[in-house]
Amino acid sequence: MTDRPVLLAEGIHKSFGDLHVLKGIDLTARKGDVISILGSSGSGKSTFLRCLNFLETPDAGRVVVHGEEIVLRNGRPANTAQVEKLRRHLGMVFQQFNLWSHRTVLENVMEGPVQVLKKPKAEARDRALALLERVGLTHRADVYPAQLSGGQQQRVAIARALAMEPDAILFDEPTSALDPELVGEVLKVMQALAAEGRTMIVVTHEMGFARNVSTEVVFMHQGQICEQGEPARMFAAPATEAFARFISDTR
Amino acid sequence: MNPMDILAVHGPRFLQGLGMTLLITGLGALIAGLFAPWLALWRAQGGAVAQGMLRPYISMMRGTPLLAQLFLIYYGSGQFRPELQAMGLWPFFREPLNCAILAFALNSTAYQTEILRGGIMGVPRGEIEAARAIGMTRWTLLRRVVFPHAYRIAWPALGNEIILLMKASALASVVTVYDVMGVARQVYQKTFDFSALLWAAVIYLLVTGIFVTLWRQSERWLSPHVLAMEKRARR
Repeated sequence: MTDRPVLLAEGIHKSFGDLHVLKGIDLTARKGDVISILGSSGSGKSTFLRCLNFLETPDAGRVVVHGEEIVLRNGRPANTAQVEKLRRHLGMVFQQFNLWSHRTVLENVMEGPVQVLKKPKAEARDRALALLERVGLTHRADVYPAQLSGGQQQRVAIARALAMEPDAILFDEPTSALDPELVGEVLKVMQALAAEGRTMIVVTHEMGFARNVSTEVVFMHQGQICEQGEPARMFAAPATEAFARFISDTR
Repeated sequence: MNPMDILAVHGPRFLQGLGMTLLITGLGALIAGLFAPWLALWRAQGGAVAQGMLRPYISMMRGTPLLAQLFLIYYGSGQFRPELQAMGLWPFFREPLNCAILAFALNSTAYQTEILRGGIMGVPRGEIEAARAIGMTRWTLLRRVVFPHAYRIAWPALGNEIILLMKASALASVVTVYDVMGVARQVYQKTFDFSALLWAAVIYLLVTGIFVTLWRQSERWLSPHVLAMEKRARR
């Protein structure tokens, strides 16, 4: 039980037309893993992340979530209900936050538990308020997303993902759309989540986070995993020329 | 005769006419409003078969005069009386009121479908993805994200469509439905007093004015998140 991966992906392939974006990606996330996926733009890292919760359907490969393999038939999930069910175990935080603009901050965080998990409203509200306190936004509970800064919106989005009590959270470039001075507040929340043992898969350009917070770094290059391992080792001595070039370019 | 005298004598009939106008407009718009969201969804997301079925219908309804559509249903159904009788539908088509409501509903469905399709296509993609990522079923996604946004986007245009339908409902008077226009024509033919038509215009204007006010209010009530931003901008 303890050894069962939280999330397993094997041989993921994805093409858009003639463009072969993912050429057989494997990834195993165990409980408490914080995996940073690095790579230059176009390396396929966001596409891979979106294949994990089937926002993109992989052309080939296996995805196992919560001990259950998502069955593909003719390039589509055989069972939509299964995909919907398994998505509940994977939170997702987007680059553009994607909060529901017509609902207040509190309603955004309550939405999943109430509408998807069918929890009683009062319980969902208490839990949502507790989560908003964790991301430091209790005082903004009743405003609408458009009234928040980008950093605040992303913290709400993290609270919204946490409200589902997921096995793992997928972060798709969570700080890339933020003004530089707002990046820190989001990273701080993510760091706190990592410290409490949350399983996280983070597509990012934040080298500091990858190096200091994650337990594993995956470097993607041209649709394949080029290098993978412990961050301290990888940053100190890149094994591949591509990763060495990538670190020196982003520094 | 003094315009006020016309009103004094024929006022109650005008009121009845107003009731009829509101009935045919309201029912027509409501029936259209029940079908339009699903057809709009079909239009926005459906495959080639759905498009192939919907497009000719919408082109027909938007590309021909409503009066022609009304005649087609009212007089056209008379041509098929034996068939309609065999199907038990004749009692429905015999009534001009039913024909008018059917024509308005069919016509408004086409317009409302296109308006709502625009609304559905305007729903922020990212918000749909967030809903899918959280594990919402398709129905919950429609109910909680897609339609709330689509209706807010489409709301002003929908109000416009209802106003247009209300004014177009005067056409029903041509097939002997006594709505405001029908009553005005009747009174005019009896009295040859032109103010009968003037009173009809006043009634339509009043109804439109009240409707616009209420609709605008409902728009504010539907969009608290937009209002909150406006308030902040004004500050």
